[in-house]
Amino acid sequence: MSTVPAIDSVPAMSRWPWLAEFLAGERRAWIFVGKSLLAIYTAAWLAMWLQLEQPATTMITVTIVMNPHSGMVLAKSFYRAIGTLAGSLFGLALMSVFPQQRELFLLSLSLWVGLCAGGATLYRNFMSYGFVLAGYTAAIVTLPAINNPLNVFDSAVMRVSEVLLGLLVAAVVSDLVLPQRLRMVLRQGAREQFAKFTDFVRGSTGGLIPRAQMEQVHLASVRTAVHLEDMRASVIFEDPEANVRSTRMRLLNQRYMAAGTSFQSLHHLINRLQRGGNPAVANTLITLYRPIGVALSPEPVQQHDPAVLAARLAECVAQLPAQVAASRASLVEPAVLLEFDTGAALLQRFATELRDFSALEVSLRGKQARGTVERVHFRRANDIAGAAIAVLRTFLTMGVLSMFWLASGWAYGASAMLLATIFSGLLAASPNPISAATHTLFGYVAGMLAAFVVVYGLLPGSDDFAALIAASAAFLLIGPYLTTRDTLPGVGAGYSLGFVYILALKNPMVYDPTHAFNDAIAQVAGIVLAGLAFVFVPTVIGSAWQRARQVRRMRELVALVANAPLDGLAWRFESLSRDLFQQVVTHTRPGSDESRSLLAWGLAVQESGRAVLELRRELADSHDLAPAARAAATAAVQAVGRLYHQPDAVRWHDADAAVREAIIATAAVPAVRQYLYQLHSALRDDESPFAMYIPPSSPESVHAT
Amino acid sequence: MPHEVAIYGVLVPGLLPVFLGCLLLMVLLDLVVGRLGLYRHVWHPALFRFAVFVCLFGAAGLLLIH
Repeated sequence: MSTVPAIDSVPAMSRWPWLAEFLAGERRAWIFVGKSLLAIYTAAWLAMWLQLEQPATTMITVTIVMNPHSGMVLAKSFYRAIGTLAGSLFGLALMSVFPQQRELFLLSLSLWVGLCAGGATLYRNFMSYGFVLAGYTAAIVTLPAINNPLNVFDSAVMRVSEVLLGLLVAAVVSDLVLPQRLRMVLRQGAREQFAKFTDFVRGSTGGLIPRAQMEQVHLASVRTAVHLEDMRASVIFEDPEANVRSTRMRLLNQRYMAAGTSFQSLHHLINRLQRGGNPAVANTLITLYRPIGVALSPEPVQQHDPAVLAARLAECVAQLPAQVAASRASLVEPAVLLEFDTGAALLQRFATELRDFSALEVSLRGKQARGTVERVHFRRANDIAGAAIAVLRTFLTMGVLSMFWLASGWAYGASAMLLATIFSGLLAASPNPISAATHTLFGYVAGMLAAFVVVYGLLPGSDDFAALIAASAAFLLIGPYLTTRDTLPGVGAGYSLGFVYILALKNPMVYDPTHAFNDAIAQVAGIVLAGLAFVFVPTVIGSAWQRARQVRRMRELVALVANAPLDGLAWRFESLSRDLFQQVVTHTRPGSDESRSLLAWGLAVQESGRAVLELRRELADSHDLAPAARAAATAAVQAVGRLYHQPDAVRWHDADAAVREAIIATAAVPAVRQYLYQLHSALRDDESPFAMYIPPSSPESVHAT
Repeated sequence: MPHEVAIYGVLVPGLLPVFLGCLLLMVLLDLVVGRLGLYRHVWHPALFRFAVFVCLFGAAGLLLIH
């Protein structure tokens, strides 16, 4: 069975490619609609059969977790189950601590919901759902029982059973019925990553890559790295084989990033040598680079076969030292040896990393996962201030609602609070929450109207489950169908939720238009208030303030690399810098001044950070270094760290001087010296963000010594 | 096996611990089979895993309840 949604090229349709594409898209959408309906009705039927109080809760749960890709549903369900348990336990504890003091109870509940919404903004994968649901369950468990504290335990058990049943049904249906595997998307993404990277490396044997092109390549590679990590985190729930390979996929991504950084550093160096009056060295390095290109160019059919490439690269790496030695001997001027050594070391490091990357790719494509590999983690750079603001906003929303509820004695306050809880959490992570809230509200109202038609027009008189399906299916399917349209974000989800809420399937069914109408008003009020809160406490996601702070954090990574303990620092640096870069870049307009400055900083941080890291490793490994040389090198590292921490002309001069002194002091230790030279050349790169600090006619050369 | 067990004074269905135990067993099984790559020989891995789980849970439940 084909699990990749491929566009079938039926001969008759090839004349109208748009038609084939349209039909393939529709087919996917309708498969999803069918699965959603199946899951919702199965869940409702099971909930009734098991005599749970409110099958509606089960249906709502299914509505929230259904997603076109199986791995997504399973990942959501997993985190959601954890969130549900945490939330219900908290709700119970809260109820037992404040059974009579309603003010304190609502205050604590608002705080809890706020904290959960803040947690949801911290994670960009499905873990955020766990937080949203921890808040939601605490509210759904306690609010309906607030007038009757003795009932809270029974209510909690019922709600938890209903929610868990919904999760179970959604997971089973989406996994079993015509699954659309995210794993296939991940595999294809990983293969494309490999193919693109090798193609680019092969194609750049000419040596010179313009800075602008380098920036674009870096941007694309960062996107791939972060996107693959996102998918990996979901796929492990979908596929046992992927789960077993998870550690390996992480390591692969890290090696990819490491090789990418080395590749950039090498090319920056060659570009600078070419511009800075040492084209001879640059050309020698380009000649040395050629074997890597040759190793990557087997027969065209094998060009993307990692097994072939890994073997050829291993051979190339083994031969490189001899070639380096030969080229070194051919250089007549001893003054340029430092530049050459730096470039040659970078080249060898890159070749080794590329070989390891290909070798790991080979083992990942194998049928069996053998042996174990190093455990690495993709570190995420989370924004604590943004989360704190989400906590504050949600707390205020819930606090205002609670106060209004207490003061007015509003009978449907619980419904309003419940809806505000759900949408505060869901909207907190959205980059444009006000428009998302508006869309959702429209969808919600439409869904409620449809449900009114169904409940009071079509349902009365029907006496079995088949009649329920017949009456509601035509209206229900609109929701999931709208979810598959990208042009209307939020409308589909709002419609489904509104529909299921007003349908309010109970055991036994209750027909009470007044109650439903009042409930509807309260729910709309809840959504409106949750959306309105974003006007008063605006979201920081994507704001200029957050971007400026994230760029600063990205720069400070170099300071981190200069000071933090070395253990695991390389992985941490490579993933953190890319994660930050990705976050900032998604909110800048391509081609704007801001975006260009950001890209320039991204490349500079990548290069200098890695050089500082390698330098510190080398310092830690070489024990017989003269104390004076070690002190000078450490001072240089610190000065560069300070410069990145807060760049200005004075610090640039300090860093430049410190690095130069260190180069002089470490004349006897080429292994340390090459990294210092790399730092020196990066500081004096006239295309980097430091260009404005470089004095127009300063002594460029460090070879006078 | 009792139909209900008390956990800290809370009565839960006796099948709940059995269910959790079977889930754990399934995770272990997935680890082993995933490592050996045996799921590739199955037409519909997800359906197969679901069926295995139903067999496990059904067998364990029936054995313990009777």
